[in-house]
Amino acid sequence: MELLLQTLLNGLLMSGVYALVATGLALSLGVVGIVNFAHGEFLMMGAFLSYLFFALQGLDPLFSLGLAFLAAFLVGGLVYQGLIRPVLPAPELNQMLLTFGLSILLQNLALLLFGADTRVVAPSYQAATLTLGPFFLGAVPLGAFMLSLGLLFLLQVFLTRSRLGLAMRAVAQNRLAPGLLGIEADQVYLLAFGLAAALAGVAGVMLSVILYASPTVGFIFTLKSFAIVALAGLGNLKGVVPAALVLALAEALVSTYLPGGGGLVEAVFFLVLFLALVGRAWRSP
Amino acid sequence: MRKALGFLVLLAGLAWAQTALKVGVILPLSGASAVSGKAALNGIQLAADEVNATGKAKLELVVVDDGTDAAKAVPAFTKLMTVDKVDIVIGGLVSGVTFALSGPVKQYGPLFLVIGAASSVVEQAFEGYPLFFHYHPWDYHNVAAALQFFQYLNREHGAKKVAILYEDGPFGSAGIGVYKQQLEKLGYQVQAEPYKTGSGQFTAILTRFRAFAPDILYWIGYDVDALPIATQARQVGLRPKLIYGAPPSWPIGFERNPLSNDVAGMTAWLPTLSNAESRRFVEAYRKKYGEVTEEYMAPMGYTIVKSLALAVEKAGSNDKNRIAEALATLRMNTPFGPLAFKPSDTGKTRYQGFGADIWFQFQYLEGSRRPVFPKDKASRPLRYPGEYYLR
Repeated sequence: MELLLQTLLNGLLMSGVYALVATGLALSLGVVGIVNFAHGEFLMMGAFLSYLFFALQGLDPLFSLGLAFLAAFLVGGLVYQGLIRPVLPAPELNQMLLTFGLSILLQNLALLLFGADTRVVAPSYQAATLTLGPFFLGAVPLGAFMLSLGLLFLLQVFLTRSRLGLAMRAVAQNRLAPGLLGIEADQVYLLAFGLAAALAGVAGVMLSVILYASPTVGFIFTLKSFAIVALAGLGNLKGVVPAALVLALAEALVSTYLPGGGGLVEAVFFLVLFLALVGRAWRSP
Repeated sequence: MRKALGFLVLLAGLAWAQTALKVGVILPLSGASAVSGKAALNGIQLAADEVNATGKAKLELVVVDDGTDAAKAVPAFTKLMTVDKVDIVIGGLVSGVTFALSGPVKQYGPLFLVIGAASSVVEQAFEGYPLFFHYHPWDYHNVAAALQFFQYLNREHGAKKVAILYEDGPFGSAGIGVYKQQLEKLGYQVQAEPYKTGSGQFTAILTRFRAFAPDILYWIGYDVDALPIATQARQVGLRPKLIYGAPPSWPIGFERNPLSNDVAGMTAWLPTLSNAESRRFVEAYRKKYGEVTEEYMAPMGYTIVKSLALAVEKAGSNDKNRIAEALATLRMNTPFGPLAFKPSDTGKTRYQGFGADIWFQFQYLEGSRRPVFPKDKASRPLRYPGEYYLR
């Protein structure tokens, strides 16, 4: 029982970061309507930014969070204006090829700038642990989980209480009608894409401490985010957190209870994606 | 007289041209094994510079990146063979990638000087290939050296339980069953779990290990896994008496991280070794790169190029078969000790360079790696139990 609860706790803590990254992807998919294969590269940028601040200035990653949010928002905005906006009227395949190309470009740019070595941000509290009776909670994963929940809560408030947030939801539901009501869809897209990138950037800072920064660190998170978004329902923001929880718990349980599960953990999201797609196919006539 | 002199100059020129040799180098300069790959390349380039400076042979290196990925390695190797048209290739650091290269190597038939690829799966794949020179010890050599250490831990320190984390590629998983049996024969209880290298997710497995309460946490994987394991072992409350790792290289700057303290591992070389060739290598490396490396792949690359140059000189030709014949009978001193080729222990390959005797154990102590076992190579006593608690 103790093992089961500890396993569930481990999964729960990981679900926060998954939800944060996947919410960004759901935003760009739900609001802008673009399948962004380069989403993980915004995460990678956040991780390298955190590493640079730590290595050059000794800046604690906690302080890098805000900077990474702003930087990723800015880059996301520029990417939207320069690359995404012109292809929005184009067929979906063109959009996907563009973001896939962007992903490769950003990875190789990072390879040129930083090399292929993994970089680690190692603050003094990196391995700090909280003990609750027989249970152990890593301070950094716990902090990342709480921060992710906090950010997602703020996003929810923004989407439900502010005019801009409501406009974003309106555009997500119907692309034509908000225009008739005077909502500038293009600005909403810009904001949504920037926000999506910013959320990934923040997650990148967290992962620079939990994992590492490397040119390819974001790729696996893009794939996992797709599985989460598919499970939640494409563009369904509310479903992202429970879907992230399902994936993280499934990974933790497989890793703990399946013989040789540690080697299979990276395959869990494929299974989740497969089941989600098959389930949807069965439900829709 | 003038004609004779001109003829001599022409002959000398021809002789020089004969020993000018294009050598392909295929290494992981990106991906999970980039640290080892870059260290190896530094050693190779250093040795090539030294060889070219002597004027006895001229080596021209054509370097390609295999990306620690079989899918990238095969086209990169094909390019070396078909575009650059090299007859000699140095490479094969990662077992999985080298295994994938076995088909193309047999197809194009170069003299293949293998720097790593310890998995016996690779030994099997190259069985019978006549131009395969494997410098690095095989995995059964690594196991033998590690088992000697585990025997010592069992006998001298009363260690009884080992939890093994092994990456699920050929490097980590080949021979894991045999390894487990051997440890059990030594009197250990063993629990072994695979993991995906680079995933960074160890909490679930380490949590399960906690119930097992191992004396030794042993991981067989790559450098990217070192810090997540050291961190997450503490985060799940695992308290082994020794964290022991066997990656081909360690992460850059790991020694500066306090979490590395007391972590032990196995290596074939450290710059503090007192052998004369090693000291010479360290000096030359420092002069060229302005720093000292602790990666044993650097002297391994250096050794390969030096041995190749000697073989070229001995063969007096750049024909790959004649160079191979010369290499087969070569005797030389290296930073690791003496090198001579003999058939591998299983008899599957004909030219095996180093064996179990080059390995020794080290521990991260006060920010650097110190040899701790066997006693004749130790500069410090092993800290057992290590302090893996948070202070």
